[in-house]
Amino acid sequence: MPNPIFKQNYFEIFSVPISTAPDLNQLKEKNHELQQQVHPDRFANSDDAEKREAMQITSLVNEAYNTLKVPVTRLQYMLTLKGVDMNGETDTSMDGMFLMQQMELREEIADIRSQSDPLDALDTMSRDLKTQAENLLLNFAEFYEQDELEKSREVVRKLQFINKAQKEVNDITEQLEDELI
Amino acid sequence: MALLQISEPGQSTKPHEHKFAIGIDLGTTNSLVAAVRSGQSDSLPDENGEHLLPSVVQYSADKILVGAQAKQNQLADPHNTISSIKRLMGRGIDELKTQFENLSDVLPFEFAKTDSAVPKIKTAGGDKTAIEVSADILKALKLRGEKTLGDKLEGAVITVPAYFDDAQRQATKDAATLADINVLRLLNEPTAAAVAYGLDTGAEGVIAVYDLGGGTFDISIMQLKKGVFEVLSTGGDSALGGDDFDHAIAEWITQQAGITPAELSSGSLRLVLHEACKAKESLSEVEQVTIDIEFSDTNKWSGILNRETLNTLIDPLIKKSLMSCRRALRDAQIEKDQVLDVVMVGGSTRALRVREKVAEFFEAELKVDIDPDRVVAIGAAIQANALVGNDAEGNLLLMDVLPLSLGIETMGGLSEKIISRNTPIPVSRAQEFTTYKDGQTAMALHVVQGERELVDDCRSLAKFELRGFPPHVAGAARIRVTFQVDADGLLSVSAKEETSGVEASVEVKPSYGLQDAEIEAMLKASMEFAGDDKDARSLREQQVEADRVLEAIDSAMADDGDEMLSTEEREKIQQVRSELAIARHSATQTQELKDAMAKLEKVSAEYVARRMNASVQKSMAGHQVEEFNK
Repeated sequence: MPNPIFKQNYFEIFSVPISTAPDLNQLKEKNHELQQQVHPDRFANSDDAEKREAMQITSLVNEAYNTLKVPVTRLQYMLTLKGVDMNGETDTSMDGMFLMQQMELREEIADIRSQSDPLDALDTMSRDLKTQAENLLLNFAEFYEQDELEKSREVVRKLQFINKAQKEVNDITEQLEDELI
Repeated sequence: MALLQISEPGQSTKPHEHKFAIGIDLGTTNSLVAAVRSGQSDSLPDENGEHLLPSVVQYSADKILVGAQAKQNQLADPHNTISSIKRLMGRGIDELKTQFENLSDVLPFEFAKTDSAVPKIKTAGGDKTAIEVSADILKALKLRGEKTLGDKLEGAVITVPAYFDDAQRQATKDAATLADINVLRLLNEPTAAAVAYGLDTGAEGVIAVYDLGGGTFDISIMQLKKGVFEVLSTGGDSALGGDDFDHAIAEWITQQAGITPAELSSGSLRLVLHEACKAKESLSEVEQVTIDIEFSDTNKWSGILNRETLNTLIDPLIKKSLMSCRRALRDAQIEKDQVLDVVMVGGSTRALRVREKVAEFFEAELKVDIDPDRVVAIGAAIQANALVGNDAEGNLLLMDVLPLSLGIETMGGLSEKIISRNTPIPVSRAQEFTTYKDGQTAMALHVVQGERELVDDCRSLAKFELRGFPPHVAGAARIRVTFQVDADGLLSVSAKEETSGVEASVEVKPSYGLQDAEIEAMLKASMEFAGDDKDARSLREQQVEADRVLEAIDSAMADDGDEMLSTEEREKIQQVRSELAIARHSATQTQELKDAMAKLEKVSAEYVARRMNASVQKSMAGHQVEEFNK
């Protein structure tokens, strides 16, 4: 019989309520507690079938933890719990204002080296993006609560944009810093 | 042996069940073996008291030498004496440079022509792959473990650089298989160091482990909490280490001497590298050293290397390591000031410049009070001990990550990431594919590892051929491919056609690894060299026998030694008994032990006879002789 953990949703696995902002410390502690029991190292003396199951269960726990730890994957997962699969979606409509802002931001990043203090400018950008991401999380919570799934989806798409921009900011910061050492 | 062993029925004379396991640090320059004994983990010395086994193997037609002796012979026999073999683990022929642009590209070996994807080095003892050379080092370590512990080993934890990719890990595991070692776990070196360090100091919080060895560099950012060692991120360079410092110095020497690398014979290349290494080590103690080299009878060179010049030579290499540190911190989302301790591991962290630069980078004092050579093996032994079930409390938990992203090749030679770097392992990801031709029943997946966009810039791991799913019209099949990375960081792939539920057969064609058949052939070949192993086994058997004999004589003497023996007889037996007890621990030859046992048997023969008589008399007491004749 397969282990009942395979039937639980990710929030249930860690016994935390479904939420856009779960307590990350609690999540981490629950993860450690679970790993103590299921990690393959606990089954080094078991037979191959048990070892295999330990590997599969721990893989699931790791996947669940990673998904819930990161906001954008957490929200996507919450949508799948309501039957919305965002993978491979073709409808990617987006409000025009937001897209304009994003394009401007990209241009700014591409042009960053001409700034008098590029690292400082990147820092400011990074902080802005963080605030935007936090606000999107709040928006999502509201829409999700009201079962406004289409709007929830759009929030996730926006968050994906923000994350991409954040990654670009990080990458170029890294490059500039490397040049400085 | 005829000593009477008297024990209650159902009671074993065996001591309580303790399983023996070892930790092995298979290093580029030196290797070690460690074990937990009486609750304490420590590295095991050889008969000369040396803990470090130089990772050098010398092959001749009739024997294999490993360690210090091989290292001594290296200058005299450069072609057949192989060092730094770890740098070739999991590497393919096409990755070996054929053009000697700089000195570090020159390997002082000759390679044999072969159809295998794995390069083979020509030696007097036959063509050898890196896996076989590593297996010979592992055998020597295993033998030391068995001799010291005097018991059968349950298995070993073998450490690998955290930044080793799948092919390099697989090669290490193959080497262990070849050395007949049951691998309990492949453990990342910085994680092993953290275990030894964390358990020793009781440190809790975020630490950084900076591990610069002979040929590899790792940085791991870890969180320590009550026996849980969680790797937050790892980074590094599996081709950066003290060897590169040597190469940089050697290059400087040849430049100064006006010689190009291509002009060097492998003998003088060895010599230059040897002198470079010596100079590097001395410069940790003194301000400057004089280097004298005889390239030939007519070509001698002498010069002075000071610390300042050394620093300019190695600074670019240290800088490379610091860039990895920064990326690791960013991946872990940890700021420098959150790092509680910076633990320095690996022989190359003895270089003063390395310590200076790392301290400057982390803006912190470094932990250099641990032995940077031994800490990895000690940590590995602690995990090995826990894995075989000797850790009574059982709360040691190591949570590690995948060091490099895994991807598959898509249209246009791009790598599509399936599992990104620093994902906790074990991990599994499934991806769905479909067919693009009617009736298609097979497909091939090319799996690569690395962070770059283009497949050509990543490491090719393997081509997986999936066969046997039922034919559908194009686009109707749904093939679910599962990529599973286990706790050792090793990848396996399985596939299933979802509409029919048919499991596909998966054939793996490793790009740089060995095919199963090749490993089998090597195993067979290694049997021929199994003489040493057999000796070790028979010695072990005799040690067990000696333990039994000692226990039997002790228990007999305690029972009735005082009544049945005169003082003189008793002393004689005691003396010979101590001789055996000493031989039990020090004998390296089976015969020595056998002789000691035979001697004890001889001096106690009379005592045994008396005990037999007494026992017969006792059982006859109160009976008539006639009864026994019936």
